[in-house]
Amino acid sequence: MFRHTPLRYAALIILFSGALFTAFTAGYFGMEILTEILILAILVLALDLVAGFGGMVSLAHGALMGLGAYAFVALATKAGLDPWVAASAAVAITAGTGWVIGAICARSHGIYFIMATLAFGQMGYSYFFEQSFFGGDDGMVGPRRFDLGFIGINLNDSRSFALFCLAILGVIYLVAMAILRSGLGRSLTGVTHNEKRMRALGLNVWRVKADVFGLSGAMAGIAGVLAAQHIMFISPKMLHWTVSGEALVVVILGGLGTLVGPLVGAVAFVVMKHELSHVTTYWHLIVGLVLIAVVMSRANGIFGFIEARFRPKTDRMIQSIQTRDDAKEIAKDA
Amino acid sequence: MRKTLTAALTGLATILAAQSALAERVNVGLLLPFSGVYASLGNEIEAGFRLGLEHFSDDLGVEINIIREDTEVNPANGLARARKLVMQDGADVLVGIVSSGVLGAIRDFVHGAQVPLIVANAGNDEATGERCSPYITRLSFSNGQVNRPMGRWMAEQGVRRVYTLGADYAAGRQMVGGFTEAFVEAGGEIVGQGWTPFQQTQDFGPYLAQARASGAEALFVFYAGGEAISFVNQYDSFGMAEVMPLYGSGFLTSQLYVNAQGESANGVITSLHYVPTADNPENTAFVEAFQASIGRLPSEYGVQGYDSARALVEAIRTGATDRESLANALRQVSFEGPRGALSIDPATNNVIQPIFVYETVSGENGAMTQKVLATLPAEADPANGCVMPAPVTN
Amino acid sequence: MTPDLSFWTMQTLNALQLSMLLFLLSVGLTVIFGLMHFVNLAHGALYALGAYFAATLASHAGFWVALLLAPLGVAVVGMALYGGLIQRMRKSGPMAQVLVTFGLIFVLLDLTRIFWGDLALAITPPAILAGRVDILGVGYPAYRLFIIALGLGIFAALALILSRTQIGAMIRAGVDNDDMAACMGINVERLFFIVFCVGCGLAGLAGAVAAPLLSVTPGMGLEILIPTLIVIVIGGLGSLKGAIAGSLIYGFVQTFGAVLLPGVASILIYALLAAVLLLKPVGLFPAKG
Repeated sequence: MFRHTPLRYAALIILFSGALFTAFTAGYFGMEILTEILILAILVLALDLVAGFGGMVSLAHGALMGLGAYAFVALATKAGLDPWVAASAAVAITAGTGWVIGAICARSHGIYFIMATLAFGQMGYSYFFEQSFFGGDDGMVGPRRFDLGFIGINLNDSRSFALFCLAILGVIYLVAMAILRSGLGRSLTGVTHNEKRMRALGLNVWRVKADVFGLSGAMAGIAGVLAAQHIMFISPKMLHWTVSGEALVVVILGGLGTLVGPLVGAVAFVVMKHELSHVTTYWHLIVGLVLIAVVMSRANGIFGFIEARFRPKTDRMIQSIQTRDDAKEIAKDA
Repeated sequence: MRKTLTAALTGLATILAAQSALAERVNVGLLLPFSGVYASLGNEIEAGFRLGLEHFSDDLGVEINIIREDTEVNPANGLARARKLVMQDGADVLVGIVSSGVLGAIRDFVHGAQVPLIVANAGNDEATGERCSPYITRLSFSNGQVNRPMGRWMAEQGVRRVYTLGADYAAGRQMVGGFTEAFVEAGGEIVGQGWTPFQQTQDFGPYLAQARASGAEALFVFYAGGEAISFVNQYDSFGMAEVMPLYGSGFLTSQLYVNAQGESANGVITSLHYVPTADNPENTAFVEAFQASIGRLPSEYGVQGYDSARALVEAIRTGATDRESLANALRQVSFEGPRGALSIDPATNNVIQPIFVYETVSGENGAMTQKVLATLPAEADPANGCVMPAPVTN
Repeated sequence: MTPDLSFWTMQTLNALQLSMLLFLLSVGLTVIFGLMHFVNLAHGALYALGAYFAATLASHAGFWVALLLAPLGVAVVGMALYGGLIQRMRKSGPMAQVLVTFGLIFVLLDLTRIFWGDLALAITPPAILAGRVDILGVGYPAYRLFIIALGLGIFAALALILSRTQIGAMIRAGVDNDDMAACMGINVERLFFIVFCVGCGLAGLAGAVAAPLLSVTPGMGLEILIPTLIVIVIGGLGSLKGAIAGSLIYGFVQTFGAVLLPGVASILIYALLAAVLLLKPVGLFPAKG
């Protein structure tokens, strides 16, 4: 079962206070970067839920996020719905789509699962790229931000919006934790460790996977709604598989299956990207080298590396044996 | 809510503008793709832009400070960078934008923030049509502008039945659409159209075979970048030149790719707003300078950057250094440049320029060169639903 | 428009040509996966590297030298990658390997930009392959026929090696069960090394062959990655039969989809992929049942 070690609590507190500190001190662009990190963090939390805890490595999450953004914008601007109603409907749509994708792909494992989700994601990308109703490859303008005027908050102020995203991220983190601790989460862990045994125990395996994927899809949809409100413009680029690939990199870079790690990864990735792109146009090269270096250190991402440093020796050995077994099992499934 | 946002941005813009007006310095936000598929275009535009500043900004008395940002050809990222340039770096004017998607994304922002934007490439018709803005001045081209004259010209040459092919995205549809409209109007017939999935098509064989089977007299296409090279090479390898001569939008045989196409491009006839062999003294000087600093011939992208710099300098010379006056002055620039006589259409803020019809032929020592067949007179785009106040004349 | 027999002949040849190009790329990837259980996402980047090597070599020493040396060059790069990265990653689980090869994509992409610039390059095919050959009344580009022949030749050679030679038997044993193969005295590590290098060489060959047909751009590796992955997943991982079947399916669906169903051409192959995985969750001809 998923539990928080003191170290994880400490990391969460540091991240949270760091975000608050930035929100109240940063200049204009610092705020933009903070918001970008917070939205990416929601997406990678959603991805960690399925990939880290369910072994379902998805390349459809960028597309789910984009779908949420498109549904929100279309419902809010073309259908003229209230932003809150439009957002709820958009999240419901991504949850439903996620559930269906999860259900269809539930029988596939490993690379096959990755490719099946890629297929669905790219179909979505091609659809929005070609549909002139949704602006085709030019994208769409005009999503409005939520109106929180009734409690005296103006989200058009970039600090308020960043804090709003932080609050949503906090709620989603708690939800993700609750899911992992619920019966569904335990079934999911069971399925990841030994699918055959869980099936023999009478568990409806595909249902568990689909439910978790649907919940994760809803989270990705929320990230999409926020991204649309943040940028105030959406384009099919959001749905492209490279967005999912980048999110996956962030999850693994931070620490797969730790919930906290992907948050660390999101911070590291976005900050690294912005800092490096000012120094050189070849910043991908450096990001690539960092990725390789992190993986070569044999830790489970940045956060895994930190955890390993702070853990007593015996614990570390058990952990390393476990990861090796997990790895074997996943390889076998593939 | 949109209004409050605009108001907020306007307020901020005024403050920043007031600050920058004090110092005799103009902050230029250069917003181009420096990574991703269009990196070569971004680099060429920047090279042209810097060359233009070097040539024209002597004794200007105003310091021009360039801040570069990479759009990565991603609309969302482009918008974030545009906001950063304006809100944080205090850019007085933005220059650049290669892809129409990025231009569409930042349009409302620059309009709302009242920051002048010189478009140095992106050609989507709406930007100087229904979504035009007094703050957006385009020094490059519009998709329709480059191709409409070609439709008429081909009809005049007696070509009657044409098959068209194009990359399936907004710009591709507009480029081919501009040609088709004018060609049909002039009495031509489109016997069939093919659209290839954008950036997903490596093999044009199936589409070429279809074009061939259509029995058309000629083929008109729009492709750019890597696709243009693949397409021309594959067109040639199928021996299509013997049965169906190739015409197209001039980006197909841009100076940037023509060396990679080599002999395959021989005899292809296209239309564009610039050719390196254009015969005028401004162009001779530009080509020489570009070759001296970059080491190869300039393409239309280079000249777009060069002319953008010149337009900016001319605007500053009228005494404009803050956003409002720069935007106003940019709408009224006109000069004789490497492309010929340029001016800005006050109704749409799109550039008015002659269009060259040229044939790509093999030149000295194996390099491909351009033979200008006709120089079609400059004409303004139709307003396409653009409504905006006229510029304030000095 | 009345497409006649020659039209369909030409389209069939187009489909075959595309299939063979994809086969050259996917066969290395799929056998590496079958043996070592990891997907080398940098395979596409190695293909791009092959094209760049070929472009440089062709301008100095001509096409044939380039065609021969470019794959060797890529194989050498493969050796370095194996020694420096892949070997150490063998025990680290598939996620780590995915990330390392993803990082490699970034690195190789920018390295090609640094060395060769952002401008597209191209190679002219040799004079002997520049013309057209008459097949059933259709003048078909000789170079494309050369690609078809090369693909079929490589397929035949690999099929022969895998089924008839000792190293082929060792590879099959390794794919089947590498632990058991090691117990039987097969030097599995050396086997991995050889297969990895040959796979990289084939990717380089595909790049060199594709260069005169397409254009050589930094992004070409990323563009081809997804089609290659689709091919090996439809075909089923780890098997030669899967690679050839997947390539043919992809080539024919792409080509005839473009002709017959132009409206949905771009999603057709993804729909097919989803359908195949729905019916056969491990592809059509996986190496292991």
